[in-house]
Amino acid sequence: MDSTLIPAFMKTIEISDLSRSFGKTKAVQNVSFDVEKGRIFGLLGPNGAGKTTTIRMINYIMPPDEGSILINGYPVSPMTQKMIGYMPEERGLYKKMKVGEQLMYLAQLKGMKANDAREKIKYWLKRFNAEDWHSKVVGELSKGMSQKIQFIATIVHDPDIYIFDEPFSGLDPINSELLKQIIIELRKDGKTILFSTHRMEQVEQMCDDICLFNNGKVVLTGNLRKLKKEFGKNTLLLEFEGNDSFLDQLENVRINNRSTNFAEIRILDGLQPQEILKLAMDYSEIHKFELVEPSLNEIFISTVGEDNIKNSGVLL
Amino acid sequence: MNWRQIYLVLKREYLTRVKSKGFIWATVLVPVGFAAFIGIGVFISIWESDVALQIGVQDETGQVIRLLEQVNEQRYIDYSDIDSDSLRVLVQQDAITGFILITEENISGGKNPELIHSGSGGMEFILSVESDFRQVLREEKLRRADVSEEIQRIYDARISLDTRRLTREGEEQDDDTFFLSIVGFILGIIIFISIFSYGGYITRGVIEEKTNRIVEVIASSVKPIELLTGKMAGVGLLAITQFGVWILAFFGLSAIAGPAALHFMGSSSSPMGAEMAASEAEIPAFLNLPTLEVSLIVYFIIFFILGYLLYSSLFAAVGSAADSETDTQQLMLPITAPIMIAYFIMFHAWRNPDSTLSVIGSLVPFFSPILMVTRIAITEVPFWQIGLSIILMILTFAATMWISSKIYKVGILSYGSTATFKDLLRWIKQS
Repeated sequence: MDSTLIPAFMKTIEISDLSRSFGKTKAVQNVSFDVEKGRIFGLLGPNGAGKTTTIRMINYIMPPDEGSILINGYPVSPMTQKMIGYMPEERGLYKKMKVGEQLMYLAQLKGMKANDAREKIKYWLKRFNAEDWHSKVVGELSKGMSQKIQFIATIVHDPDIYIFDEPFSGLDPINSELLKQIIIELRKDGKTILFSTHRMEQVEQMCDDICLFNNGKVVLTGNLRKLKKEFGKNTLLLEFEGNDSFLDQLENVRINNRSTNFAEIRILDGLQPQEILKLAMDYSEIHKFELVEPSLNEIFISTVGEDNIKNSGVLL
Repeated sequence: MNWRQIYLVLKREYLTRVKSKGFIWATVLVPVGFAAFIGIGVFISIWESDVALQIGVQDETGQVIRLLEQVNEQRYIDYSDIDSDSLRVLVQQDAITGFILITEENISGGKNPELIHSGSGGMEFILSVESDFRQVLREEKLRRADVSEEIQRIYDARISLDTRRLTREGEEQDDDTFFLSIVGFILGIIIFISIFSYGGYITRGVIEEKTNRIVEVIASSVKPIELLTGKMAGVGLLAITQFGVWILAFFGLSAIAGPAALHFMGSSSSPMGAEMAASEAEIPAFLNLPTLEVSLIVYFIIFFILGYLLYSSLFAAVGSAADSETDTQQLMLPITAPIMIAYFIMFHAWRNPDSTLSVIGSLVPFFSPILMVTRIAITEVPFWQIGLSIILMILTFAATMWISSKIYKVGILSYGSTATFKDLLRWIKQS
């Protein structure tokens, strides 16, 4: 698909009223959101919130019960599959196949001609310092090496849209960094990236736009900066040295991130930050006192309510 | 359905397997085994009469030994002038294999002759000695009874049943029923084994894609039905390749085996070589088989392919529903049960190819691949039965493919646990 044919203002992915059930479980309910061209879009939520099901429907792997998905204006089909590079959460390669053959197979399945694919594979293997892996069997590669091959398999056909489902889970630190670079580089080239994660801090660093999922529903969607601004500067970052027992005396606050000499405190109704400072000074020496926008984690909790979070242990 | 995608899947399935060591070995070893089987057979035919097993005969009557010498000069040696103790020593020293004392009692009294021997030679040898003595003693008895030559001839005559088959077209043929029964039996077993082994390839292939976690990557490019079709076609082509090699090797070896055997037997330097070449210059009996009809091979291939299609989609469904190879047992049962039943009916159909059980069994689509081929090999199956079973198999294949593709579609993306039959029903309904 030639990307120049697609108008720049167009929404790359448009999802409206998407629903999908498995038996009695409503995995996805009336989900709507748009992904704009050339942006990094984060799909967030705890495990089991419906992210993977939504992603599978976008990839035309699973049909929705209701609702529509448009990719560059086209309803999902084998044709739109070729516009997308998809790295699933459950990912892997054929262990007994050679690296070159495997990449060739996957590229051809995405519609590439053998000659173009050969060139691209060569380019990417070189890019990742992996030229001499071409005739190696995947089973012989280390985990980190095969993760690199997995990246190449995802991007080799040079699609417009990239979808990564929990891309950083299971990656070693070097490959995590490599993938971040790839994502940022792709964005520079005007590609659209959608990735899902249950780890909020990754989104804060990379995403332009987000969509928060909980229990199969969208609870919040939009531009990350705007959303944060809307929530206001109501979070207190406190660094101190000494007795931290004053933290336990605070009422009408939520302490999200606490360690021996640090606390991230969300101030709820009524309380003044100065009161906290006063109390804290009675107990310990204050090194830092800063009012900031809430973290995404905090936004998520305050939106859905603490009790409604599925698998909250994983999330927080 | 996108044929390019199916072709790509087919190509991968075929090429990765056809290049695997296991496949190459199996493909080569079967003809090698067959050649070895023929070779050993020829070898035995050449050498079997060469082992010099000698029997000393102490004949009081003086008549029997002469007759024995006529029957087999090499085997029976006249030791009438040696006493039995010396004969015992000869046997113990392995100079002779055994000895027999013939007395008047053995001829007129009806007493059985007794062979005292070292044990070498085995069953075959003892039976052959027994038959020699039966013949010789009877001859001597008849001679003494002074019966007419005609009666002697009557006694000598060996009566067996010669059979010829009258076909529907009114042609009389040499009857090869015995041979064809064995062929039918073997073909049935070949189909039985190959459904399991190629079906197993498919199940393992599907599970491998699931456990390697590549299947979702593939599913983002290929429809499950295309993946399934390509997989079945790829393994099917593999089966055809293997059978092709085997059938060619079989006919090639059969064609050269006869002449080759003659060649070796003619030039054999065994002590009896010259004589054998002159008197027994014919192909050993086990190589001198009736030829197979081309139509039988065509039907075999048709029924193999239909049977493969019918079962392979089910094998794929089982693979997709299982989470690991060890978990397939319970799910396999509905597939293995009909194959096993067909296999057991075959033991009946092999002897009674036209019985009601055989006819009805061969029309049941899940049994047809095994039973119909067995029947076609042995008896003349009316064409309507063959046609009907082919139509029924095609219809059943459409149904199994429909069900399997639904299970497969959901199954390949379900990780973590092996599905139950209840799950499978739900999957069929939901997709």
